[in-house]
Amino acid sequence: VTEETQPFWDAAATGRLLVERCSACAAESFPPRGICRTCRSRDVALVEIAGPGHVYSFTVNHQRWLPDLEVPFTIVLVEFADHPGVRVAGRLRGCAPEDVAVDLPVEVGFEPGPGGCSIPSFVAAGAAS
Amino acid sequence: MGSELLERRAVISGVGQSAIGRQIDRSGFQLTLDAITAAVADAGLTLDDIDGLAMFPGGGTGNVPGYGGADIYEVQDALRLTTTWRQGQVEGMSLPFYAPAMAVATGQARHVVIFRTVKEGSAARNAGGRPAYGSTKPAAEGPLAWLLPIGALSPVVQVAPFATRYQHVHGVTREQLAWIPLTQRTHAARNPDAVYRDPLTLDDYLAARMISTPICLYDCDVPVDGATAIVVSAVQTAPDLRAPVAIEAMAGVTDGRPSWDQWDDLARVGCATADAMWARTDLRPADVDVAQLYDGFTIEVVWWLEALGFCGPGEAGAFVDGGTRIDLGGELPVNTWGGQLSGGRLHAAFGHTVEAVRQLRGEADGRQVAGAEVAVVTNVGGYESGAALLTTMSR
Repeated sequence: VTEETQPFWDAAATGRLLVERCSACAAESFPPRGICRTCRSRDVALVEIAGPGHVYSFTVNHQRWLPDLEVPFTIVLVEFADHPGVRVAGRLRGCAPEDVAVDLPVEVGFEPGPGGCSIPSFVAAGAAS
Repeated sequence: MGSELLERRAVISGVGQSAIGRQIDRSGFQLTLDAITAAVADAGLTLDDIDGLAMFPGGGTGNVPGYGGADIYEVQDALRLTTTWRQGQVEGMSLPFYAPAMAVATGQARHVVIFRTVKEGSAARNAGGRPAYGSTKPAAEGPLAWLLPIGALSPVVQVAPFATRYQHVHGVTREQLAWIPLTQRTHAARNPDAVYRDPLTLDDYLAARMISTPICLYDCDVPVDGATAIVVSAVQTAPDLRAPVAIEAMAGVTDGRPSWDQWDDLARVGCATADAMWARTDLRPADVDVAQLYDGFTIEVVWWLEALGFCGPGEAGAFVDGGTRIDLGGELPVNTWGGQLSGGRLHAAFGHTVEAVRQLRGEADGRQVAGAEVAVVTNVGGYESGAALLTTMSR
C-alpha cells in the first residue's frame, strides 16, 4: 500500500472495486495513475465498478512459496464487457481448480489478504459467495 | 545498411564462466573474479586493457536471495582497474552487451567487462529447499503492486497466465510445448557445464508436479550458483583480439503496458523488439543458423520463435513438436547449451550470449552447429526484452 494505492485498498475494505475514469474522454483504466492513459488528461476520478466480469486468463498455483501459504489457489485476470480498458488481478472463489476456464463469468468480491488488507477475490457466477 | 549503426563499431571479444552448479561452495565474489579473468584471457587481453565495467543488477546485490553476487566497486578494487565507464543495469539491460556496445562505440571505453553472478542455488537450499524467489519482497509497489498481495509471489505465477492464454487462443497443447524442455535436455547432455544432463522423457514431463498451471517443474529454469563475464570491445581493436564476434543488429523495445498483469495481449510477446532488430539488418530469419532464446520458462521460447518470425503466431507448438527442427542438425537448433531450463539460470541472457559466441567461433565442443555464421540471442520478453544478431567477423 502506498499513498497512490491507499484509496483503492480503503474501498476494497468496504467491498468496492475502484478504477479510474477520465472526465474528459470517459476512458477507464486500472490501476489508477492520476492521468488518463488514453488522452493524458489529469482530470480523472475514482469510480466504483461492478460485475459481471469474465476471466481473461488464469493460473492455479500449487507451490507453497511461503510456509503459511495455503495451496492450491486460483489467480485470475478479469476483464469487464462494460468497462473496456479495465483488467484486475485477483483470487477466484466458488470454482474448483480443475473447472476454471478462460471466459468464465465472475462477480466482484474481496477476501482477507496479507497485512489486514482486503484483496480482490472474484466469485464464479452462480456460486454462493 | 551498414557501418553507421553503433553496434557495428563494437564486437564481443571474450566470454568466461566460473564453475556452475546447484551449489558451489565459493563466494559470489570469488565466482565473479573467476569469470572475469577467464573472459579477459579468452579475449586475448589482459586485465590492464579493461577500462569499463558493467553488471546486472545494478547497485550490488538485489533484494532476492542469491540474485546478485558482487559489487562493481569491489570488483574494480580487487582487480586494480581504472575505468572510464561504469554502469549497473536493470532498466535498459535489454541485452548484457547493449550498453557496453554503446560505450565502446562512442569512445567512452575500449574494452568493457560486464558480469552477472548468481547464488540462487544456494539461496534456495538455505530456504529449506523451497524456492526463495519472491519471499523477501518488501511492501508491494511498482509493477508487482497488484500481484504480490493476491499471492502471485513468484515469476512462475506471474508468467503462467501468459501460457494459459497462449494455449487457449491457439489450441496448443502441453504435449507439444514439452519438446522445448525435452530437446534442451538433449542439448545439455552434450554440455559438461550443464547442471541437468540425464535424459528427460515426455512421460517424465507429463508426470511432473505443477508449479502454477500450466507451468510444471520442467517448464521452469533451474536456480544455480555461477558467474558469467563478457568482454565487449571497440571494433578497431579487433586485430589485438583472439576471436571476436560481430554484432550485426541489436534492439530492446518496451512498448504497451510494462507489467505482468496489464500486458495487452498475453498470447503475443516480444514483437516490438524483434521488429526493431530486423529493421537494423538485411539478414532474415532464414539466415539464422542457431538460436539462443531466453528461457526462464518454456513459454518464453514460444514468444521468441513467433516474434522473430521463425514461425507464425500460434505455430510454435507444431514447430517444436517432436523436437526435430530445434535439435542439433535441425533447421533451427535452439539453446544448444541446454538453456536455463537444463544448463542453469545464469539469467539475463548471459548464458545465451556465451553459447552464441562459442557457436560462431566453432568452439562449442561436442555440440557445434556445423558452419554457424549467424546466431540470434534474446533476453527475457514481456516488458523488458532484447534481441540481437551476432555473426562471424568474416560474414
